Amino acid sequence: MDAARLIQRRRFEGTDILSNSGMNTKALNTYCVLTPECEQLMHEAFDRMGLTARSYDRILRVARTIADLEGEKTIGAMHIAEAIQYRTYDFRDNI
Amino acid sequence: MLATIRSLGVKGIGGYGVSVEVFVSNGLVNFDIVGLPDAAVKEARERVRAAIKSNGFKFPVSRVTVNLAPADTKKAGTVYDLPIMLGILAATGVIRQPKPDCAFFGELSLNGTLRHVNGALPMAVAAAREGIRELFVPADNAQEASYADGVTVYPVENVSELIAHLRGEFRIKPMEAPKLDPTAVKYLDFADVKGQENVKRAMEIAAAGGHNILIVGPPGAGKSMMSKRLPGILPDMTREEMLKSTEIYSVAGLTGKDNPIIAARPFRAPHHTVSSTAISGGGTIPRPGEISLAHNGVLFLDELPEFRKDVLEVLRQPLEDGEVTVSRVAGTETFPANFMLVCAMNPCKCGWYGHPSGRCRCTEAAAARQTRCAHTTAAYPGRFWIASTSLSRRRRSSMKSSRIAHRPRARRI
Repeated sequence: MDAARLIQRRRFEGTDILSNSGMNTKALNTYCVLTPECEQLMHEAFDRMGLTARSYDRILRVARTIADLEGEKTIGAMHIAEAIQYRTYDFRDNI
Repeated sequence: MLATIRSLGVKGIGGYGVSVEVFVSNGLVNFDIVGLPDAAVKEARERVRAAIKSNGFKFPVSRVTVNLAPADTKKAGTVYDLPIMLGILAATGVIRQPKPDCAFFGELSLNGTLRHVNGALPMAVAAAREGIRELFVPADNAQEASYADGVTVYPVENVSELIAHLRGEFRIKPMEAPKLDPTAVKYLDFADVKGQENVKRAMEIAAAGGHNILIVGPPGAGKSMMSKRLPGILPDMTREEMLKSTEIYSVAGLTGKDNPIIAARPFRAPHHTVSSTAISGGGTIPRPGEISLAHNGVLFLDELPEFRKDVLEVLRQPLEDGEVTVSRVAGTETFPANFMLVCAMNPCKCGWYGHPSGRCRCTEAAAARQTRCAHTTAAYPGRFWIASTSLSRRRRSSMKSSRIAHRPRARRI
């Protein structure tokens, strides 16, 4: 947790962004570059879950945090998958 | 026959300098306060008169006019009791006019002891900015005020002690600001929660990235219990965060002798009957609401679907900007409101939808209606991501909050 917060503080130094949740589109494009494998995963999720453009950005922000927690520089497929899982919209199936 | 005493006032969550001018002259016996005083300031006349007399001094049988400058700003509260009294004593020659780098505030009781007032820290901060070096405050406010840099704070128990100090017969010991130690704060511990690993993981991610979170689950699953423990895994508060939160709490009248500083991350859980004004802040003279009290901490909305729609709407702009602007006739104030939003709800009215026990009697449509509430929050910036709780107790690990917060690498559970 401390480490993840430190990474974010360094990342957003000099901007008025406080944490990953506050990333705007420009920051997302800089810090959340996806590998082709991740792109593929996002596309599948989009098609199957009917996600919107807004939720795309939100999944990216959460995936960035998960990657930070594990000390990874780039977002991996595992991080994306976990972030998507938390957005499962019809949560009633999961109980 | 004129005396000027420096004092301070509160506007929004900031302080500003006030000059209390007292003019004692011949004429019809009268005691008047001008400078847009509210009812509490006007009543200071009776408290001041009694405090002067019960301390063995003479109240002037003349015309007394008190002006609170700047005269076009509304003055509220009881902070001017003490400076008004000192002004009268200085104007009648009982004491000498205090040095211009001294300021005073405090409420008087009829026998001359000083009482706690709201907004001590913002006023002390403003005092330092206004070039005041010595600040005399009620003893109950002293510790809170002492956290302001650049000003020496004197705790005043009663009027006779203060007058002896001003005459040089006695010396009040200045208040030392105790050290701020965020690690000494005791939070509720996640170790009390058995199982629920998926929710703990979701909370850990939310806390790490400052994301908002919505927790859905049946009654008794531990939604509230876990939410209450969330402040404990957030990073320790910095000095600046503590002072800002304390200023907000101070203006709201939530600091006191026993809790002079907000050192623990705030956790605010307003009931679902709360009004939108209580959430956003407001009143004739705007005061901070729940979202500002949750600044630097957690705002927890339990039973999200039960909240009124206007309450949920009012959260949108602060979630985007990290602050809230309240406009009233008396003025416009901007309060900080940078908080983490945590919401909890049941999956249906009875709460047991989809549970293996089959005890849910709700129709599919009724459950869907409940779910739709999650949609109302869809327009929130950084809107929740959803974590569902289950009653499963298969894995009963119970990791301490301190471990969750400080372990170097978080591992997937």
